[in-house]
Amino acid sequence: MTMSKPMNTTLNIYDQHVDSRLLIGSALYPSPEIMKQAILASGSKIVTLSLKRQNPAEQAGAKIWQYIQEIVKETDGFLLPNTAGCKTAKEAVTLAKMSREIFQTDWIKLEVIGDDYNLQPDPIELLNATEQLLNDGFKVLPYCTDDLVICQRLYDLGCQVIMPWASPIGTGKGLMNPYNLETIRLRLPEATLILDAGIGKPSDACLAMEMGYDAVLLNSAIALADNPVMMAKAFSQAIVAGEQGYIAGVMQQRQTAHPSTPTLDTPFWHQNL
Amino acid sequence: MNVFINGQQISVGSEPTVLLALQHFLSTEQQKQSFAVALNGSFVGKTDYQQTSLNQGDSIDVLFPIQGG
Repeated sequence: MTMSKPMNTTLNIYDQHVDSRLLIGSALYPSPEIMKQAILASGSKIVTLSLKRQNPAEQAGAKIWQYIQEIVKETDGFLLPNTAGCKTAKEAVTLAKMSREIFQTDWIKLEVIGDDYNLQPDPIELLNATEQLLNDGFKVLPYCTDDLVICQRLYDLGCQVIMPWASPIGTGKGLMNPYNLETIRLRLPEATLILDAGIGKPSDACLAMEMGYDAVLLNSAIALADNPVMMAKAFSQAIVAGEQGYIAGVMQQRQTAHPSTPTLDTPFWHQNL
Repeated sequence: MNVFINGQQISVGSEPTVLLALQHFLSTEQQKQSFAVALNGSFVGKTDYQQTSLNQGDSIDVLFPIQGG
């Protein structure tokens, strides 16, 4: 693979440079306190969140929002609202506009789900929503499958960032189709590619970075770990390791064994022949 | 006149607006919080709450920040 990322660059989100390559979700943690500790431990500068209905007696959402605001302030970070739960372009566009008003950002993690069983994105509705939102001035970060042509269409529409899945949301199955993901990287060398969803282990994140992905977005793998704070640190280190491995240039695989230790003048060499 | 907010039917006056419906539905505490509104599936900006009138059976969604992945 041709190296396309020079050393010491930062993550580029529509010309906003971010000095962490881990985007982290704010859901599913055992408590808001652990959420905050884990996000801070991860070193992430981009936190995803969402919008939901809330009845007048409910206050839990307000506390979470307070914590997230504190995190973003402490890290000098960014909010990335999502359109989770949307199944049509119209729903996603409406939710994106609501998010922009509340969070004062034109970034949107665009999710348009086409199937309830595996939460697979609907490519038709996704493209439709992407076009509308880009025309309305949004900076769209579309969550999509690892389908090269869908990624190309999103890029052609004007998405500078594309987020193919590793595997279905929340499964922790890791990179289901490494070939597809590598092909997307090769075919879209200028796009900012963020691997989103399905990551389970730090080594999954490391592998994505070794492929030349620009960043990783995850939530469940940290939030559902036995120790989310420690896991957040592990992911942070794995992402740095993978990025450095990619930049350093991985050796070519060889079909046959080659001794590492020099064999010339080896003692006892073939002495019994 | 009856309208729906977050799926709950509420009774509002004869010339209701989005603003009046929100004041009727939300607690005082919630009215101070961050939220955004859609009317019949379309976004309504804060500056339009007072001017946006409601019709019988309209559906309003009031959404608040929450954790997400």
